[in-house]
Amino acid sequence: MTAPVKKGRAQGLLQRNNEAVARFVFLAAACVCVLCVALICAYLFATALPALAKIGPLQFLGGVRWDPNRNIFGILPMLVGSVCVTGGAILFGVPVGLLTAVYLAKFAGSRTAGVLRPLVSLMAGLPSIVYGFFGLVVLVPLLRELLGGPGRGKSILTASILLGMMILPTIIGVSESALRAVPGSYHEGALALGASHERSTFFVVLPAAKSGILASIVLGVGRAVGETMAVVMVAGNQARLPGGVLEGVRTMTANIVLEMGYAQDLHREALIATATALFVFILLINLLLARVKRGDRA
Amino acid sequence: MKKPDVLSFLLRWLVRAAALVTTVLVLVIAGYVLINGVPQLKPSLFALKYTTSNVSMLPALLNTLMMTGLSLFIAAPLGAFSAIYLVEYAKRGNRLVKVIRLASETLAGIPSIVYGLFGLIFFVTALKWGYSLLAGAFTLAMMVLPVLMRTTEEALLAVPDSYREGSFGLGAGRLRTVFTIVLPAAVPGILAGVILAVGRVAGETAALIYTAGALEELVKSPLDSAATLSVHMYHLAGEGLHVKESYATAVVLMVMVLGINGLSSLAAGKMSKGGKCAS
Amino acid sequence: MKRLLGIFAVAAVLLTGAAGCAKSDDSIYVLTREKSSGTRGAFVELTGLEGKDENGQKYDNTVDTAEVTGSTNVMLTTVAGDMNAIGYVSLGSLNGTVRAAKVDGVAPHIDTIRDGSYPIARPFHVVTKGELKPAAKAFLEYVLSTEGQGLVIGNGYVSIDAPRALADAAPADLRKQTITVTGSSSVTPLMEKLAEGFMARYAGTGVKVQVSGSDSTMGVTDVLEGRSDIGMASRELKSSETERGAAATFIAKDGIAVIVNRESNVSDLTMEQIKRIYLGELTRWAEVTA
Repeated sequence: MTAPVKKGRAQGLLQRNNEAVARFVFLAAACVCVLCVALICAYLFATALPALAKIGPLQFLGGVRWDPNRNIFGILPMLVGSVCVTGGAILFGVPVGLLTAVYLAKFAGSRTAGVLRPLVSLMAGLPSIVYGFFGLVVLVPLLRELLGGPGRGKSILTASILLGMMILPTIIGVSESALRAVPGSYHEGALALGASHERSTFFVVLPAAKSGILASIVLGVGRAVGETMAVVMVAGNQARLPGGVLEGVRTMTANIVLEMGYAQDLHREALIATATALFVFILLINLLLARVKRGDRA
Repeated sequence: MKKPDVLSFLLRWLVRAAALVTTVLVLVIAGYVLINGVPQLKPSLFALKYTTSNVSMLPALLNTLMMTGLSLFIAAPLGAFSAIYLVEYAKRGNRLVKVIRLASETLAGIPSIVYGLFGLIFFVTALKWGYSLLAGAFTLAMMVLPVLMRTTEEALLAVPDSYREGSFGLGAGRLRTVFTIVLPAAVPGILAGVILAVGRVAGETAALIYTAGALEELVKSPLDSAATLSVHMYHLAGEGLHVKESYATAVVLMVMVLGINGLSSLAAGKMSKGGKCAS
Repeated sequence: MKRLLGIFAVAAVLLTGAAGCAKSDDSIYVLTREKSSGTRGAFVELTGLEGKDENGQKYDNTVDTAEVTGSTNVMLTTVAGDMNAIGYVSLGSLNGTVRAAKVDGVAPHIDTIRDGSYPIARPFHVVTKGELKPAAKAFLEYVLSTEGQGLVIGNGYVSIDAPRALADAAPADLRKQTITVTGSSSVTPLMEKLAEGFMARYAGTGVKVQVSGSDSTMGVTDVLEGRSDIGMASRELKSSETERGAAATFIAKDGIAVIVNRESNVSDLTMEQIKRIYLGELTRWAEVTA
């Protein structure tokens, strides 16, 4: 009689121990990403802040000239460049991506989806250099012939279209899983109230998946802001304020990849400060998103 | 009978049009790569050793597989465990959860070139790993961690609570419930995340040129420098001497990505079926 | 349906109109390399695009509307596709997709570079710091020998004046050694050939030379900070670099070809014209050909 009881108690204890260990392991794993961010922050700010103090924060963020030879480091042109191409990419990529996700989640037959889905993940797997080649050899001449302009095809517009293509898989993948995560009862309820399949999808399911969709857009913004190898081939990389969407532009990432190799001293620090500005930019977008989300939950 | 509904009609076609645009874009870019690359494929590109005359991609191909494997080996368990913590363990409204979520979203947004610079200073220089497979893999692991976390989290959230309640009701502990009930049901979603991550790793260049170097040789130890396929491509095309061969590399990369995707979805299908049988 | 057709027609007219405007445009599209590129450094210096500020610090006056690219391939592809473009590449990378302009009446060629009549040429250097390890020293000997310089000539570059005959290195110095060479991507293709030649010659010893390309400045920094044994630079060293202990050895000479589109009616430019194009003073091809 006593043996089984003991065994049961031991097992219970073991189980409780396991639970505690497991809980700790999971928690530790979850904290790794916090640690990563802390490490990156520490390193970036430790280099960037002294440089910022030397250059002057206003001259750095608001200066329109970037001339490392004369120790003039104004990143406003690159800031504007990054914002323009990212905005453009969102403008092109999000509508197409989101609607494709809706199609995949709610409209496509299983066979069509079975063809389209691998195609989309193929798109995600192509290296950015391939997109860069494609942009350089196909998009640039096309836009040069169609629209011309001072950038001769290497422009904000070209970079935006190319980046819009590149963020498609991110937008589609994350939005689709968000749409699928909405309980089927929402859709059925709307149908029962007499809404058509389309209406119920767009006005009931889509709003319910809002947070996942926003997350997909943020991921898309991240990818577009951070894209380097493709953008550097099609954007022209002129470090001055652009006058229009048909002019070339230099993004912050392009600035880093073009100059990091040889930069020394203050110049190198200024480039790391550029990376930091990029980082802060992303942080702000995320905080904004978090606020938006909280706003709707309340 | 339903009345003709203009809005529904428009929406239906809008969605189809978007899907069509996506399909066309994929086909155009894939076609572009195939047309330029397939005629350039020749056996010498797969020679065992890289030389300047054969510009073989085989070493880079194997390096890519290793880099992908290693970085996922580091990141996938971390990502999955983090997601499990967030979904299954953490209490709602926990402050730590907010911090973790913010951190993962920030990580997701950090540009790969910034990862590259960080990897150069931290793994390559501070930890003295040099330009190496290991430094590259760790850098990439940091990069794909948020993707894996986010997709695993979505997948776990999509598992109906009734599964968990059923398991608890039968007396299973939390740990047992997570591993035998929730995780199997979430496998397809998790694999979708892995696919996304594989894609990012295989296609990454900016982060790797600063961390893994560009040595065109099969790595013998994790501390050797290793060029992956996309870095190999970058260098082939850079000086304009081997642009054709770089297209061939792109074809191989594309086939590889397709292969990995195929395998993953096959695995996902098998595993989720297995899960159903067990339940 | 009719309306749709109407919209299409209007769009088509607008696009052809825009395309027409684009075609009649003859503004010069200037391409340059990133500032760390040795090719750019040499180009800027030789064409007189450099200025000096009050502190004697040199700077680069290239017009800020010029496209900046880090890749010879992007340069070649863009010029090959754009009637209005002008750029420059290493002679070793020149191919048939673009046309190399004559400079002051002289076409870029290995002979005109050797005799100095083609004005835009620059040295290839290897960069070292302090005493080299024996294996690296043996490699350098090989590069400067008649054998190594034979490869230099064979690959379309100009060799050094007096290569020495190669004395065999002691196999014990080379056994299982690895020599790392990093730096200028312009020098990389040549250096890879030299590395292969060296490894083939001493195949029995298992010596390895690992070459990876980035840019000249990176190559110098790598050597100074001990990340590689030998650096590659396609320009002269700066005083800030020599002060930190970097020493350059001249291994070959390379020309820089000024390239235009094959359909372009420009085939001969003067140094003055090139300079003024890159300063942004000449902005239309009509002003150049007139």
